[in-house]
Amino acid sequence: MDASAPPTPQALTVRYFDGRSSHPHEVQASLGHGQLHLTGPGVDRTIEARRVQWPERTRRGPRVAQLPEGGSLQCDDGAAWDDWVRAAGHGESVVVRLQQSWRGVLASLLLLVAVSAAGYVWGLPWAARAVADRFPDSVENQIGDTVLVQVEEFVKPSQLSAQEQQAIEQAWQRVLRAHTAAQSARGVAVRPSRLLIRHSEDIGPNALALPGGTMLLTDDMARLLQHDTDVIAGVLAHELGHVQHRHGVRMLVQVGVLGFVTSTLWGDYSGVLATVPLWLGQAHYSREAEREADAYSVTVLRDAGLSPAVMMSLFERFALFQRCGDDLLKPAPAGSAPVCKTEPDTGTDEEEKGGFWGLGFASHPADEDRTAFFRDAAAR
Amino acid sequence: MESNENRIEPSMDTTVRRLPIEFTGSGSEYFRIWIVNLLLLLVTLGLYWPWAKVRRQRYFWGNTLVDGDPLGFHGDPRQMFKGWALVGVLFVLYNWASNFSAVAGLVAFVALAALWPALWRSSMAFRMGNTSWRGLRFRFVGSLRDAYLTHLPPFVVALPMVLLSFAIPDDPEQAPPDWVMGSIGVAFLLLVLTLPWLLWRMKAYQHRHYALGPLQTDFRASVGAFYLLAIKPFLLFAGVMGLIALYVVTSFGSAGALGGLLAGMMWVLPILVIGFWVLLFLGIGPWITTRLQNLVWTKTGNSQMRFISQLRFRDMLWLSIKNGLLIGITLGLYWPFAKVAMARLRLEAVYVRTITDMQALLAAEHERPAEAAGDAAGDFFGLDVGL
Repeated sequence: MDASAPPTPQALTVRYFDGRSSHPHEVQASLGHGQLHLTGPGVDRTIEARRVQWPERTRRGPRVAQLPEGGSLQCDDGAAWDDWVRAAGHGESVVVRLQQSWRGVLASLLLLVAVSAAGYVWGLPWAARAVADRFPDSVENQIGDTVLVQVEEFVKPSQLSAQEQQAIEQAWQRVLRAHTAAQSARGVAVRPSRLLIRHSEDIGPNALALPGGTMLLTDDMARLLQHDTDVIAGVLAHELGHVQHRHGVRMLVQVGVLGFVTSTLWGDYSGVLATVPLWLGQAHYSREAEREADAYSVTVLRDAGLSPAVMMSLFERFALFQRCGDDLLKPAPAGSAPVCKTEPDTGTDEEEKGGFWGLGFASHPADEDRTAFFRDAAAR
Repeated sequence: MESNENRIEPSMDTTVRRLPIEFTGSGSEYFRIWIVNLLLLLVTLGLYWPWAKVRRQRYFWGNTLVDGDPLGFHGDPRQMFKGWALVGVLFVLYNWASNFSAVAGLVAFVALAALWPALWRSSMAFRMGNTSWRGLRFRFVGSLRDAYLTHLPPFVVALPMVLLSFAIPDDPEQAPPDWVMGSIGVAFLLLVLTLPWLLWRMKAYQHRHYALGPLQTDFRASVGAFYLLAIKPFLLFAGVMGLIALYVVTSFGSAGALGGLLAGMMWVLPILVIGFWVLLFLGIGPWITTRLQNLVWTKTGNSQMRFISQLRFRDMLWLSIKNGLLIGITLGLYWPFAKVAMARLRLEAVYVRTITDMQALLAAEHERPAEAAGDAAGDFFGLDVGL
């Protein structure tokens, strides 16, 4: 091409840097037949268009195209450049078109929210269940053993009498046998579990299900329930629900993935902020797991010929425990009334009720909701 | 190539020119890039990350105008993906090894430490080698040997702490021997006292080895200047810690019982913690950023050109508070606007003073042939590791 020829209609005046000097050359650039031609005083280059790193359309800033063998083309008039490229028939990627239209960005934002919400509500629990179903028992047992070693450090051997322990163990085994038989009739295998009764000063009346099927019942729980083996069986049936649904493994997967996603979205700004959705998510999944375990306990109790109503007395005792505290756990003479000395609370304290914060962060659903669930189950 | 006659010799006149740095990016435009990047990151489960990073970097570089001409970013996402995967594997191996056994953890730590200076240097070589201005590539000319020498003192200071941590028994009931706690205390004190010097060594290594064409930067800040800079935040930090300690001691003394202390602390402590966090993020952080940028960049240059950074703490403080508040109120959606505003403030506080004609720079003689320039990022030590 001759440098003195008049520019063709699709030629654009741009500044050309040859890659060896920072001195700009004013050249005419024309684009056609897959070739980029540069002509100007002392410049005559032809470059394959597909080897050029073309700039993406932006609202501001100059356009710079990087040439394959070093050097660049620069144009301060973005609109003129875009027209020139478009006239030569160069298309834009979907990403650029999305980025440059507010409609596309709004659609992306809505899609982002929708994908996150769907992933949170369905995707992640589904994936966690799929992983839990395929999770090797040996690995789960190994995790369970590790957790048990840690738990054993803050619990002591049970202080209940041998008869009391035996009564709980026998009552539970009877329920478990009835449930196992009923499940095998339905063609479902019950996952192996074992019961440990331990004394703990730290966790009060409580029951835990560890990965690998170990269920831990505290002495205080038995005392709070006044050794009523039906109610204790209900508590253990709930823990068996956690074992059966492999909630430990599922929680690991869900919290791990959620942690990765939130740190990608918010970790740029602040690591502390990124953990807030993680707490909320963890609590949400935990409440879901509790509901599943509650539903499972109803099945177990029915299989053993017990009424789900026994669980209502669990929550009654819990409510009493919140008002009276440890007094309730002291051994009372047989047949006497509960030794609660505290006057019933008027219940105006916001903290007691849980309030706004309690709802999002609580790991268990509200006791009223759970009582209502078991009342309905007993009525059916 | 064909235009040899266009080479221009450096001019001999010595009038001082001032080259401004402008940032023309807009928050709303970066917001759109960011949203689309986030969506693609989410649906590809994070694999889109290098492509997202290239888009972001090109936007920020392309809107950074030095004397009216933008910077160019040449990074290849596929190449960056490899670097990213390599570092990912290293960290997974490291975590896995430390779970496996203490000895394996130590071996992994030593291996990572041995590789670290090379990775650090490579990420700077990658960033510089993939940045251009007026058609010329920047270069990072620091040697691998110097990168290791720079990191030697931090390792010597940190190693005793790592080794001593193995002497602490796993059982929390069992108190560690006094000599271990004492040595850890001494090692920690040594680390704190040498921190400004260690930071100076890092910055000196980086800022002595940036190059464009025939120009290579030098770094003229003294170690003393780094210590001077560290004194104020250190005193403030020590003062706040002292006040907290004083409060604890006096409440303990007056209440006379641990119960009283705990009851008093129940609501005071969260306020103290939040106050300290706010002070750290919105006060000390911006102060250090401001002073460090001014010190480091104003002392960077050579006999032909130098940078001058005049960032004002007042502006930085105000912007940090505004950004923090708006990000909180918008649940993070203000983040791209904040990032653009911060880039504008920090970049436009800098300008270049030069007596060289910056339109007459020639590519360095020893620079690789242009065809291989793109491949420079391809060898192992040109990998981007996202530092």
